[in-house]
Amino acid sequence: MNFNLRDAGADFWAKSNKWQRYVIALLVIAGLFALPLLQNTFLNTPSTPFVSVLFFPMGIYVLMALGLNVVVGKSGLLDLGYVAFYAVGAYSAGILATHTSLNIWEILPIGIVAAMFSGLILGAAVLRLRGDYLAIVTLGFGEIIRITALNSSSIGGAMGITNIPNPPTTFGLKFDLDNPQNYYWTILVMIIITVLLIRGLAIRRPGRAWESIRQDEDVAELMGVNTYKYKLWAFVFGAAVGGSAGVLFASKSMFISPNIFTYNVSILILAFVVFGGMGNIWGVIAGAMILSYVPERIRFISEARYLIFGLLLVIMMNLRPDGMLPRKKREKIGEVKGAQSE
Amino acid sequence: MSSEVVLELKKVKMQFGGVVALNDVDLQVKKGEICALIGPNGAGKTTVFNVVTGVYVPTAGEILLNGKSLKGKNRHTVTKLGIARTFQNVRLFGEMTALENVITATDVHNKSGFVGSILNTPRSRREEKASKEKAHEILEFIGISHRSDQLAKNLPYGDQRRLEIARAMGTSPQILLLDEPAAGFNPSEKKALADLILKIRDKGFTVLLIEHDMSLIMGISDRVAVLDFGTKIADDLPSVVQNNPQVIEAYLGVPADAS
Repeated sequence: MNFNLRDAGADFWAKSNKWQRYVIALLVIAGLFALPLLQNTFLNTPSTPFVSVLFFPMGIYVLMALGLNVVVGKSGLLDLGYVAFYAVGAYSAGILATHTSLNIWEILPIGIVAAMFSGLILGAAVLRLRGDYLAIVTLGFGEIIRITALNSSSIGGAMGITNIPNPPTTFGLKFDLDNPQNYYWTILVMIIITVLLIRGLAIRRPGRAWESIRQDEDVAELMGVNTYKYKLWAFVFGAAVGGSAGVLFASKSMFISPNIFTYNVSILILAFVVFGGMGNIWGVIAGAMILSYVPERIRFISEARYLIFGLLLVIMMNLRPDGMLPRKKREKIGEVKGAQSE
Repeated sequence: MSSEVVLELKKVKMQFGGVVALNDVDLQVKKGEICALIGPNGAGKTTVFNVVTGVYVPTAGEILLNGKSLKGKNRHTVTKLGIARTFQNVRLFGEMTALENVITATDVHNKSGFVGSILNTPRSRREEKASKEKAHEILEFIGISHRSDQLAKNLPYGDQRRLEIARAMGTSPQILLLDEPAAGFNPSEKKALADLILKIRDKGFTVLLIEHDMSLIMGISDRVAVLDFGTKIADDLPSVVQNNPQVIEAYLGVPADAS
């Protein structure tokens, strides 16, 4: 196994000049926008419309995996309750859209802020813990949010919230059941923005702080990294991404209830991150895409599809324990181009 | 050499349960000097570093940096105020390049943090550039600039030790604490390290050094403090300390006919 996809990709990117990079990026983005065209090929999903699958689970899960990757992959903080932020975003959208006249685009920033706030509260309380203890407490937090929603009749209790409006028609794009591609394109734009933000952070001070915290928190602190502050930022950023996914999900599905936000979702997102390669955004995106797509594609074998899903995980983790595309471990050759000029 | 005191320990006591690791230790390090801290194993040398950098909170006593007490300061604040250290067993960020290791340390004085970075403000861009240049300069100065883009964990042992010093220098410290920088070095490497430490001093840094190699210590130190069982038993010029009977006793034990 000498061929290494990650290194090959990174080498190719390193050898390209600025214009080649723009062209490659544009082609990839255009290709992603054109994905709904593949709906009648062998990729088609049997029981759910392919274009809907592109939005949920694929788009939503890619976005959430990216958010969780900042917390788990980049900063090394094991968060088992990530679904909480997704739920906070979705419930913000559900409550505000049914009780006020705000439309979903106006609610989106509010939902993100609400999720960030919950991330801040959780983080401030638990980030003094490390490792296993942090994992347990975040797991508990995820359940607290779900059970609170379940027992609050003012927000629907177990019945959840129904009749959440779709987003209004924007730029001539209709957001309804007949036009799932518009949701897909929206989430794609959000994913691209998130990727750009993460890349920007990763090559600057927060990226170094997170990396140092992940590798040796005590030494990071002694080298002047305010570890508590940067761990909190990782949490809040991850929460914001999860919250934005929640808002859009609520608006598309028009219905949310507490049993959508079980800890299974947290574990699933974590599996995407680990499967793809912790800390590497391209790996995480690919991992989330594949793992959320495969169960839909083989839905015709009904429950047995989880067997295939599990088998895929086991085989992958045996062949590539660091994930499909592990985080950068290569030596940089020569000057690093573009890192600072971007 | 001015007589300005950079770091001062006043009657510092560090107790772990019943064990007294440091017993009323007084120490003064003056600006621009190389002060060595020696003593047999378990004498409390590294504990001094841990107390000074805020890893341990002293049971009693006070630590002053440029006359200001460090009491109750966070570890990262202590670093920002001007104390940087290396570690007895190398503790680099192995998965980062040598350059990134040093830049991480230079970040301590940068003003723009998360928000500045996400918005890519002009200040953030300016600071990123300045940090990178400064890190390059330090690696050049230490003599490992050819290693800048290699992962720290892949560096040869000697260069890892040098990188630790470079990383500590990245925080622009008032005082540099070196914990056994020559551990595991052969004589010629030790000689090179001694030259490096002198060069660092000549650049205006103050150095507090823990070392076991006597010839290295005696060759470069301006002053030597000796700890034994948590108590300071000597603090003087190297030549004086070398002939201090108490120090000889601490290291070699009491002669059989005297006891």
